[in-house]
Amino acid sequence: MLLKIKNITLSFAKGKDSFKILNGLNLDVPKGKITALIGGNGAGKTTLFNIISGFQKDFSGEISYCHCGLDPQPPLRLENLRADKISRLGIGRLFQSKGLLPHLTLLDNMKLCSNDTSGEFPFAYLFRNKKLLAIENEKEMKAKNILTQLFGENNKYLGMLNAMGCDFSYGEQRLLSLAGLFMGNYDLLLLDEPTAGVNPVYIENIKDIIRKMVAAGKTVLLIEHNMLFVKDLADIVAYMDDGQIKFTGTPNEIINNQEVKNSYLGIE
Amino acid sequence: MEYILHIVIMLNIYILLVLSANLPVGLANLLSICQAAFYGIGAYFSAYFLLQWNLPFVVVALIVMCLTGLCSLVVSFASVKLKGDYFVLATLAFQMIVFTILYNWTEVTRGPYGISGIPSVKLFGIISLSGIYGYFALTTVLSLIVILLFGNLKKSPFGRVLTAIRSDELTVLSIGRNPARFKNYAFFISAAFSGLAGLLYASYISYIDPTSFTLDESIFILTALFIGGIGNIKGPVFGALVVVVLPEILRFVGLPDAMAANLRQIIYGLILVLLMYFKPQGLMGELKIKN
Repeated sequence: MLLKIKNITLSFAKGKDSFKILNGLNLDVPKGKITALIGGNGAGKTTLFNIISGFQKDFSGEISYCHCGLDPQPPLRLENLRADKISRLGIGRLFQSKGLLPHLTLLDNMKLCSNDTSGEFPFAYLFRNKKLLAIENEKEMKAKNILTQLFGENNKYLGMLNAMGCDFSYGEQRLLSLAGLFMGNYDLLLLDEPTAGVNPVYIENIKDIIRKMVAAGKTVLLIEHNMLFVKDLADIVAYMDDGQIKFTGTPNEIINNQEVKNSYLGIE
Repeated sequence: MEYILHIVIMLNIYILLVLSANLPVGLANLLSICQAAFYGIGAYFSAYFLLQWNLPFVVVALIVMCLTGLCSLVVSFASVKLKGDYFVLATLAFQMIVFTILYNWTEVTRGPYGISGIPSVKLFGIISLSGIYGYFALTTVLSLIVILLFGNLKKSPFGRVLTAIRSDELTVLSIGRNPARFKNYAFFISAAFSGLAGLLYASYISYIDPTSFTLDESIFILTALFIGGIGNIKGPVFGALVVVVLPEILRFVGLPDAMAANLRQIIYGLILVLLMYFKPQGLMGELKIKN
């Protein structure tokens, strides 16, 4: 298992009342697979992503991450790590309803997703030494390669590298944000509703990109409401309700589960 | 001629101040209203080193910039994680504390009497830079260097991260960068160059007192920044030009002295209100001012 989530509980207090958002949640995410997390609005899916990626603290439970490189290493506990540290361990994230950074060019958006932070110290770039320029050139080449691999030779984005993030449509921004995740050395990718608000053609593109992520050795944990998309793509589906994982299985097993049909899919 | 040179010297000093303010405010989205405090800290440190040690300009400049930068860490370490209004209040508190110290610690700062007789800077430790022509040359060269430095900084990978922080801090965290660290850097650099402006001011005017480094001065620097525009280099430079040259133009309109100062405030206020409505990115800025 790449990620083991054990007995996660999170409550929000409002006045004298306390609301349990997650209630002893357990989930295993196997390496190299696509695991889809489904469940109604407010079930706590995004909160779980926030917990894994370090944006939500004050919860109880354990999260073990096995960032197995070439050398086998003991699993790391993520509960007390900052979000930036968790990202550097190899956990990338696509946020719900967020696109590219609007005031940066497409190329800068892509370069920023790289794990290599060389030249980011103030004035390090002042003398434009050969090493830093080479690193910047490498990042540019990598960005172009990724865009070519994902969208084909001579795709329009290669000619728009200097366009600002806000110049792209929302659907394009989602596609390009996913492309940016290839820039970092991520092992686990948390994708929060990648198809929300995206047209059917782009949904197919997103499906291809996610398949290419897995082909590149990455593991994907996905939140999605589009059940056709989940059925086509996911290896494992976890159904979440009342702050817990109620059922786990193959897409067909979950879609045919009577309780999931009644309480989530709205089918008798 | 000397009158025009004096205006250009003050313009060069304000270019340094406004460009310095642009780094935290324009790029890192930290609305700091303590820029005059760093300007004052730089001026008072400069007065001390020039009066007591009479060190060469480059040495004094480096020491003053480092010390002012270190002072900035007092406020930045404690407050860069604060958001919006809370950060503004933290910098306001720092501004008030610095002014109170400068005004009341009379044994060191001479309080309201100020420090007079600050010697001119010595280039390379030998040539004493006296006279308006020398300061015109020095401040012009320095402001050009600082314009190039900040231009390079904005285009560098560091500038890329700061611009990203301005747009979306959560995304920056999720790609493995710590926004607080970058904000501390930005604040340090901003304070250091404001300190350099303080050095130029103190040695050029040869007299300083706390009233030159008040909250009003911080707001004046921010006004220049917002008029010119944030996020790039030409905006702050243009903003400095407007706020330094405009009062001089008003002198020739023939208004009574008692009215001129008030009118200047009214004009600045009016320009800001009109800009917020019609051009929120300032006259030549790149980014819109965020709420």
